[in-house]
Formats: sequence, C-alpha cells, structure tokens
Amino acid sequence: MQPYLDGMLSDEEVAEARDHLARCSGCERRYRFEEDLRHFVRVAVDEPMPEELRRRLAGLRSGPPGAQL
Amino acid sequence: MSESAPTAAETRRIAEAARDRVRFEEEALELSDQVFRVARRLVGSREEAEDLVQDTYARAFRSWQQYQPGTNLRAWLLRILTNLNIDRGRRVQRTPETQPLEEGDYFLYNKLESSISDDNPDEERVIERLSQNAVVEALAEVPHDFRDVIVLVDIGEFSYADAAQILDIPVGTVMSRLHRGRRILKRQLADKTVSV
Repeated sequence: MQPYLDGMLSDEEVAEARDHLARCSGCERRYRFEEDLRHFVRVAVDEPMPEELRRRLAGLRSGPPGAQL
Repeated sequence: MSESAPTAAETRRIAEAARDRVRFEEEALELSDQVFRVARRLVGSREEAEDLVQDTYARAFRSWQQYQPGTNLRAWLLRILTNLNIDRGRRVQRTPETQPLEEGDYFLYNKLESSISDDNPDEERVIERLSQNAVVEALAEVPHDFRDVIVLVDIGEFSYADAAQILDIPVGTVMSRLHRGRRILKRQLADKTVSV
C-alpha cells in the first residue's frame, strides 16, 4: 500500500491496486486512513518561515545585473 | 603591456552571467519557504533551522555555477542543507539501531478505530482523534535516520529517487527506512492518543 500512496507503482500495479480497493472495503478504509494521516501530518507540522529569515536571505543576493562590471 | 578594454563580446558575456546568477538566486529564494519547512523538521529548534537555512543559501549562492539549470533545484538545495547538517558534527550517518517492532502497519488505525463507538456516524474520520501537538512531538521523537526520509518524502513530497540523492543513500534504503519510520511514527502517535 505504501508505494501506491507514494505514487511509486507502475501503471499496471496501480490498476491492480485500484481494482482491489474497489472490491475490499477493509483495505479501502485503511487506505483512506493512511491518506488522511499523511495529509494530517503534513499540515500539522507546517511552520511558516520567519520574516526576519526571509530578509536575511534576500540580503545574500549578489546585487543588480551590471554591478560586477 | 597595457591592459586592453573588454571587447563587446566579453562585456556581453559578463552581463549574461550576471543575469543568470540573479535569475538563479531568485529561483532559489522562491523555494525558501519549502526549504525552511523541511529544515524545521530535521533539526530540534527553530533557531537551528534558521541558521541552517541561512548557511545553506550562503553556500548555494557561492557555488551557484555548480547547479545545472533545468534540474531539480529544490533537491539541490536540500542536498546542501543535509550535508551542512552532517558537517555540524551533530550527528553521523550510521545504520539505525534495530529494535524489534511488534506492531504492524495498522496498529494506529486499529487503536483509533477501536476508540470510536459503533453508532458514531463519522467513523471514517478516525484521523480526527489525533491532535496537532501530538503529531509535532511524535515526529520529533522518531530517530533521525528514519525522520530524515519521512520529512523529505511525506512532508517535502520528494520522490524516493530524489530523497536517495539528497541523503546519499540507495533508493532501497530510502524505502525501508520510510516503511519502518512511518511505523515508528504511528507507534508514537498511538502512545500519545488517549483511548476513551
């Protein structure tokens, strides 16, 4: 199930997996849980970049074109 | 011998290179939110993440010519970040200790599902039994070799191949650490989730 969720299966394997999930409600529930969990984890740990850091990074730039001439 | 002024061709080349460099820096900076998001989950504190990201961009901008245009810039930046993180001597890439894990992949699902009553119409929303804090804590507790791959694949949404390249490990190792790491994470989450 994990490679299927990660989008790492071949087209043939994906078709087989989909077919199975359509017929097996137990697996389908677990699949939906895994998908929800992935999404939940991703969203739960999201942290915005501090603006101060953004400013510092911008300060690393090499300068406008022509400055080196 | 006196120095001659740059030819028109040289001047053009220098201007082009400067434009390439600026374009590269802009592209790289556009990815900074994503780079920070991954960095924040790889290290312990926000301060560390900020330092790491800043050092990464400083290094990236210095070696900008080593980046091949058209290739995955985000992965390139993360590779620098990962190497810097290792260089800091905080940790060494080694084989993670193998502790026996009795729980299978569905341990968390089964535990959460069993805590929901039968007449609950929202049985499908098993996921809502989890709290955001628990997830943040649980992820931080996963041993770093496993956490690295989880953060890159599940949060950074990199492919197995990109993750393998970033961490400089075989794809097979990415897959096995991912599988095991996710089980550990789920185990941690299950421990933090109180059953009613």
